[in-house]
Amino acid sequence: MKWKKLGKIFDPTQHRLPCNCVQFAQSPQALVFDDFVRIYFSTREVDQRNGKYLSHIAFVDMHKDLREVIRVSDQPVIPLGALGCFDEHGIFPMNVLRHDGLVYGYTCGWNRRVSVSVDTAIGLAISRDDGLSFQRIGDGPVLAASLHEPCLVGDGFVKVIGGVFHMWYIFGTGWKRFAEDAPPDRTYKIGHALSADGVNWTKEEARQIIANRLGADESQALPTVIELAGRYHMFFCFRQSFDFRKNAGRGYRIGHASSTDLANWTRDDEHPLLDVTAGDWDSDMLCYPHVFESDGQVYLLYNGNDFGRYGFGLAMLEQ
Amino acid sequence: MYYWKKLGKVFSPQDVTGRSWLREFAQAPATLVFDDFVRCYFSCRPPADAHGQYVSFSAYVDLDRADLFKVRAVSQQPILTLGGLGHFDEFGTYPVSVIRNDGEIRAYYAGWTRCESVPFNVAIGMATSSDGGITFSKAGDGPVLPYSVDEPYVMSGPKIRRFNDTWYLWYIAGRKWKVVDGRAEPVYKIRMASSPDGIAWTRMNKDLIPSRVEEDEAQASPDVFFANGRYHMFFCYRYSTHYRGRENGYRIGYASSTNLTDWLRDDSKAGIDVSAEGWDAEMISYPHVFALDGRTYMAYLGNQVGRHGFGLAELNGTLE
Repeated sequence: MKWKKLGKIFDPTQHRLPCNCVQFAQSPQALVFDDFVRIYFSTREVDQRNGKYLSHIAFVDMHKDLREVIRVSDQPVIPLGALGCFDEHGIFPMNVLRHDGLVYGYTCGWNRRVSVSVDTAIGLAISRDDGLSFQRIGDGPVLAASLHEPCLVGDGFVKVIGGVFHMWYIFGTGWKRFAEDAPPDRTYKIGHALSADGVNWTKEEARQIIANRLGADESQALPTVIELAGRYHMFFCFRQSFDFRKNAGRGYRIGHASSTDLANWTRDDEHPLLDVTAGDWDSDMLCYPHVFESDGQVYLLYNGNDFGRYGFGLAMLEQ
Repeated sequence: MYYWKKLGKVFSPQDVTGRSWLREFAQAPATLVFDDFVRCYFSCRPPADAHGQYVSFSAYVDLDRADLFKVRAVSQQPILTLGGLGHFDEFGTYPVSVIRNDGEIRAYYAGWTRCESVPFNVAIGMATSSDGGITFSKAGDGPVLPYSVDEPYVMSGPKIRRFNDTWYLWYIAGRKWKVVDGRAEPVYKIRMASSPDGIAWTRMNKDLIPSRVEEDEAQASPDVFFANGRYHMFFCYRYSTHYRGRENGYRIGYASSTNLTDWLRDDSKAGIDVSAEGWDAEMISYPHVFALDGRTYMAYLGNQVGRHGFGLAELNGTLE
């Protein structure tokens, strides 16, 4: 497997964004149309009440060459959740897939807590207008914390394989204060759930499907899966759970694992296929990968430095 | 016809000494009958912190089986620890409902966390005791009944029962947060789930009890008791606003069912109301019905939702 980097393809600071968002285009996810590609991303509004962020889902339509922007959405595709709901303070990311003539959007909803900064859960919203707008199926989540996944269920990525809905997602294993003067940090791992209808899910309940490479304090996020030549490939990002924001050596990198049976995954990112490029927009960090196919070509969307504050880029599978 | 003859307050947390975590409140009584005493679980609080915020613990008081007004013991420590950092039950384990199962005792409890935009959120956890109900270990760090599509928050007030080899959990689920005088107040409704093992739950996903006093009526403590071929549910309800006093505060309601899923509400049959004066003159809430030695009792809370303890009433007549 060999990737060719095509560089940054979208910079949110160069476009007018909905909800007074000025920066961030995080976790790009593609919906391919006949003559363009709609790329959803999370962008951030400053919450005027307290200076914290509110994440919204917007999209950019791009020509199939994935270089030229056609338009950027002028409003978020889904409003934030109501008072007290799991997605009141942000939706980041949203995974989209076509099913039965509809577009399903699996949201990762954020709500702020007091002793820790946040908790998350996964919701489902459905679009009947080709992804311009999404309506929640209910105020609550389809996948949330459970007996052995005590917090931070999020980052769902869904694929229908052989008539069964598969979801890869992350679950928190806990919060920990790594230094006396530091706020608590979280650790999460990648899990798997199955569903017949995309609404009612059965988790494998805290089975970590991707082995740790950085030890127990490795956080793994945003799994994305594609089948290539009879083998399933998962890309995800991983980092140290502490001191990962400014310390480039501990920040996100893109990982890879593969499977033939969707149950057992072999991780093989000791020698990464896609690594940072010194001096470039992705010199310190690589995160939030999304793999997709368009006109027979396999692409990987991802964010670079600063968690995607200045946009996302693209790589193309060469072989 | 029947009515509940009030016997008076049976337990006052203020009378207990030597337990820093048990200063006031004895909420949501739930009983477990032993050979010579009745263990009555309740939830209590230490003093509020500097910001006026409480944590809540669950504990028990053992009442003499021959004389329920005789306190034999109070638990030396809370029956459950609070959850870890960021867990659903970090700031409270309240209320609790217990049931015997295969020589052990299982507890279902509501775990409380604190939120930024609303004061709290609640989900339902499970724990098991193998020492006769003195201490419980949690089945996991997370909830056994979390928030879901149609029950988005405030999953609380579990009541565990087993009928015909099926486990039933009655509980409440939040419907909306209503901002009243700048404060977010939860509106919740009575719901139900069933399970073959008490762990994997199937929710009915419907409100069991129609609202009566107003659309945003809050309902709690759905306590189901089988007698004379019929299921009897006693619960409590209140207005959504200004409910901390007599006028809009909690009252006890009643519904009955023959199949556990379809309920007919008729509060005129509750058979109990606030007193003209005294410890339960402002409100009555959190009913729990239990049978003991040929009699049927209701434990319930009085003023300030149990700040000063709970009382007992005895059934006079027949539930039918």
